[in-house]
Amino acid sequence: MSDYAAGAQGNYLQKEGRGGILSWIFSTDHKRIGILYLVAILSLFLVGVTLGFFMRLELITRGPTIMAANTYNSLFTLHGVIMLFLFIIPVTPSVFGNFLLPIMIGAKDVAFPRLNLLSWWFYMAGAFLAILTLLIANGPADTGWTFYAPYSIRTGTNVTLALSAVVVLGFSSILTGINFVTTVHRLRAPGMTWMRLPLFVWAVYATAWIQILATPILGVNLMLVVAERLLGIGIFDPAKGGDPILYQHLFWIYSHPAVYIMILPAMGAISEIVPVFARRTIFGYKAVAYSSIGIAAVGSLVWGHHMFVSGFSYTAGVYFSLFTFFVAIPSAIKVYNWVGSLYKGSLEAATPLLYAFAFIFLFSIGGLTGLILGALSLNIHLHDTYFVVAHFHYVKFGGAGFGFFAALHYWFPKMFGRMYNTKLANVALLLLFIGFNTLFFPLFVLGFQGMPRRYYDYLPQFTNGQLISIVGSWILVAGVILMVGNLIHALFKGKKAQANQWGGATLEWQVPSPPPKENFEEIPEVKYGPYHFKRD
Amino acid sequence: MNETAEIAANKHKDYTGAKIGMWLFLFTELFLFFGPFLLYSIFRYRYSTDFINAGSELSLFVGSINTVVLLTSSLSVALSISALQKGNKKLTLLLLGVTIVLGAVFLVNKYFEWDAKIVHGLYPGAEALLSRPKGEILFFGLYFFMTGLHALHVIAGMSVLAVITFFVMRDKVTQSDYVKIENGGLYWHLVDVIWIYLFPLFYLIR
Amino acid sequence: MFGATSILGKAIDSQFFIITGICVALFSIIIFLMLYFSFKYTRKKNPNPTDIEGHAPLELTFLGLSIAIVLLMFYLGWGDYKTIREEIPKDALAVKATGQMWVWSFEYPNGKLSNTLNVPVNKPVRMNIESRDVLHSFFVPAFRVKQDAVPGSVKSVWFTADKEGTYDLFCAEYCGTNHSAMLSKAVVMSEDKFNGWLEGKAEAQAAPPPPGAPTAKGDAKKGAELYSSKGCVACHSTDGSKRIGPSFKGIYGTKVKVTTDGKQREITIDDEYIRSSELTPNADVVVGYQPIMPPQKGILSDGEINSLIEYIKSLK
Ligand code: HEA
Ligand code: HEA
Ligand code: HEC
Ligand code: CUA
Ligand SMILES: [Cu+2]
Repeated sequence: MSDYAAGAQGNYLQKEGRGGILSWIFSTDHKRIGILYLVAILSLFLVGVTLGFFMRLELITRGPTIMAANTYNSLFTLHGVIMLFLFIIPVTPSVFGNFLLPIMIGAKDVAFPRLNLLSWWFYMAGAFLAILTLLIANGPADTGWTFYAPYSIRTGTNVTLALSAVVVLGFSSILTGINFVTTVHRLRAPGMTWMRLPLFVWAVYATAWIQILATPILGVNLMLVVAERLLGIGIFDPAKGGDPILYQHLFWIYSHPAVYIMILPAMGAISEIVPVFARRTIFGYKAVAYSSIGIAAVGSLVWGHHMFVSGFSYTAGVYFSLFTFFVAIPSAIKVYNWVGSLYKGSLEAATPLLYAFAFIFLFSIGGLTGLILGALSLNIHLHDTYFVVAHFHYVKFGGAGFGFFAALHYWFPKMFGRMYNTKLANVALLLLFIGFNTLFFPLFVLGFQGMPRRYYDYLPQFTNGQLISIVGSWILVAGVILMVGNLIHALFKGKKAQANQWGGATLEWQVPSPPPKENFEEIPEVKYGPYHFKRD
Repeated sequence: MNETAEIAANKHKDYTGAKIGMWLFLFTELFLFFGPFLLYSIFRYRYSTDFINAGSELSLFVGSINTVVLLTSSLSVALSISALQKGNKKLTLLLLGVTIVLGAVFLVNKYFEWDAKIVHGLYPGAEALLSRPKGEILFFGLYFFMTGLHALHVIAGMSVLAVITFFVMRDKVTQSDYVKIENGGLYWHLVDVIWIYLFPLFYLIR
Repeated sequence: MFGATSILGKAIDSQFFIITGICVALFSIIIFLMLYFSFKYTRKKNPNPTDIEGHAPLELTFLGLSIAIVLLMFYLGWGDYKTIREEIPKDALAVKATGQMWVWSFEYPNGKLSNTLNVPVNKPVRMNIESRDVLHSFFVPAFRVKQDAVPGSVKSVWFTADKEGTYDLFCAEYCGTNHSAMLSKAVVMSEDKFNGWLEGKAEAQAAPPPPGAPTAKGDAKKGAELYSSKGCVACHSTDGSKRIGPSFKGIYGTKVKVTTDGKQREITIDDEYIRSSELTPNADVVVGYQPIMPPQKGILSDGEINSLIEYIKSLK
């Protein structure tokens, strides 16, 4: 992999010092850290989806099939915790943010390289703790990823350890956020004005702010639950005068903005891909850039839409519903502008663009069903049913997940200097797309019929929907295996990629593939916006 | 080359960057405490008389002493920074030492205060506490949680200052390269500021 | 199975179809344009792209339209919510619903207790929902109502069922191991039938003894009812099969290994042991089980405990 001459410095993959694993896990090079995240996160992703797969398998028949009720409960908790805190929240900012953000703004590294490495270590520690809950006595937490009090205070499973894992991951997230905000403010190359930042950078920048501002509240909230379990301070325990609803408020104050931590960077990646393959500038650059900030800002005011039936006040319900609808506006703007950017373009049907199309399709379904959930009277019926499960798999897997896959196929040649087999990649996409819809679309119907979520067992009228969905999961498995296999094969045997594989205009495409150790021999001077394409 | 390019070239010497980073970190710390403060105000509103009764059981005397101790330590850390900027390494070290000792005094006081409460059965989960009105249970729950969290921050601050003292000794933090001590000082001020809020909320409410 | 069978539920359904309709329309337009552009402007057909940086009037129009659309959707959802939350009819039949791990119990104004929710057709019913332990959620899909049960407070929701029949009743908030078994039925019947049922003696249970009543003698038949109405059934079988807790079948008089304060010992199952197992289950924990049985202190009266003891004795 490392036999490329990349200028005088050699590329970042080439052996450094004594080489070996140590030269990776103690490296402060943002590119190596990005790769470290990629390896760690993809492994955990495979663990998480495998859990999801087994959950689906359990639901293949009514009654106990392959596991007991409390195993199922632990599985969806762990599935949720891994998928959210270990996969989808960190994936795009940590992998591509780390790898690309400095190069895209023309810097040699992030502002605090050592802190950056520390965040990765925190991430690993958190992952370790989360996995540890599986192995020690009492078994993994069985609370659902939301850890609602008072059940989380009472249950005998390893909730304390799981909560500690999430708090440690929170540290990792905060440190990354601080690093990125400072980097964008301080390290832009000359001429890289705010209005010339690639849209991916805007998205990561907005994400970083949410990470900084929202994560501490989750952290302290979970610490309170730990204190409640160990000491019994009573804040969330009605027997002592506490109030479990307050837990939900504090939880969603973080966790709603967190869903935008997941989606924003993916949207940023799509905003890079669409103009490059349309060979024209993005439609409404400013609107797309500011809508990232808009999502981050309005997104922090809507947390109550998870609590419409918790029994909080009527006025609060109306307020939160109204803002929930407003938060759709910036997302809608982005979708319009992506579609608008195709107009009068010169489109190349390359793999990343196809993945981006799948993203737009699936994310729109997910987002629009979010609006259905945000409508007050409908939420009463749909809350905590499979409708919600379908909604969030569409936005998270269909949105953030497919966005990540799109980014992976777009930047893969840059990161590793090799190309994958595009035919196979397209076939994998087709399988993923069909499998995904077969798996998750029936869940909308089940939800409307009234199938509650987190149910180990179900009533006869839900059988058909469950069966279709299970078949979908098999197709999806085939897609994931094909996609990952194709990429791994390309890593070792793929054709050499060009420096500017897709004809992009942002800075990362102006350096060799894979990028040299120091990114740039000389800090470049930026003269144009990010989507100013050379025409032949 | 303009300013940003220079920074990019010497990435480890960006003082403004280091300051921005530190301030962002302080924000996260404030938000960390924001959660419990919010809970405090909600419960205080719901159980105001219980809170007042419980508050009057805390020792105003020990609380005031601790406030003075922390305020003094904030002053000494500020003085140590200006001493270093003037190039007076000895005085810097002395003042840093004073700050750390004051932090320790604060913790010792806190220990005795907690101990007195625990002896009286006023700790979370104790039978004596559970038989009291709900607001008082919550008051003491919050009291132990928040002052405990604050004490952890005092310990963290002391460790940071200890490391910085070491750096000053080794001339890694000097008259011309003092951003670390400034940031350490900022952190110490934050610890102090949080206490300034905790003090009236728990001790002066009566 | 799809249509609502309550008056508000029908209104909610029509909102659902309007809002979903709007969403489908928006979605179709966007996907149509996306596909249309990508077939029209391929590299072959249009080798020379045109840079369009934006178009302020168009963008503002879209912004305005979108705001109008979302406000419309918000407004549609708001109306019924107001009715559900704020306009509970004064004359509604009040039923107390209590959730506990993992059974529902319903109490009627005359003190009648039941595990299924029986309601008259075409009469408003107000559910006053409480919980004994953790969060639960009262959910009848056919009526389109849901409300969390929060320990420490009472939350209300109401509905008017307009079609006789038997409907599923779920617990919709995750509440632990047997969350998915916390099911019941909502039976909608004619008003006459309902009144008959409400006053009826046949399957009725006596109202719980007033607090402080002298210790009642146990009664195995009453114990059997309590076994299901108090939720023991969720964890204990009577046929020897292992659930979350040990089966009750034939345990009386046998010896069992328990952990007390971290030490194992053997104990004979007698009245006293069963009593303490119910009141303070975590004092002696049967080996091989988790200490998760909810303490019944303050929930079961002495008489009820005695009945349960008799019932367990009777299971040979
Ligand atoms: C990536 C994650 C992600 C994203 C981006 C979103 C986006 C949105 N979500 Fe979602 N949501 C989750 C993840 C996410 N959500 C999760 C994990 C849960 C469940 C948590 C749990 O309980 O476990 C949840 C639950 C959830 C609920 C609570 C359901 C319940 O439990 O009762 C609600 C209710 O309002 C909601 C609403 C929305 C809305 C309005 C958006 C909006 O931001 C969507 C905006 C997007 C669009 C609108 C589509 C694109 C635009 C167009 C196609 C243009 C045309 C549109 C218009 C003109 C409006 N979500
Ligand atoms: C990014 C987030 C993400 C992703 C990608 C997924 C992916 C999947 N999820 Fe996930 N899910 C969540 C996040 C996510 N989920 C969250 C947050 C919850 C809520 C948890 C809670 O309630 O607390 C949830 C809940 C949830 C439920 C509801 C549980 C319930 O309420 O009862 C179900 C049920 O079907 C489910 C299924 C699946 C399936 C089948 C996949 C599929 O995509 C997986 C497809 C499987 C594969 C692609 C497997 C690939 C396997 C290999 C490559 C190895 C081969 C191994 C073998 C063949 C053995 N999930
Ligand atoms: C949350 C599940 C759960 C519920 C509900 C529950 N139990 Fe239990 N029960 C257990 C478990 C687990 C054990 C074994 C561990 C222990 O002894 O605490 C147990 C043990 C017991 C024992 C001792 C049995 C033996 O073999 O030694 C008795 C008696 C008992 N329960 C009675 C009851 C009665 C009566 C009720 C209903 C009012 C009830 N339980 C409700 C879970 C439950
Ligand atoms: Cu009760 Cu779920
Ligand atoms: Cu949300």
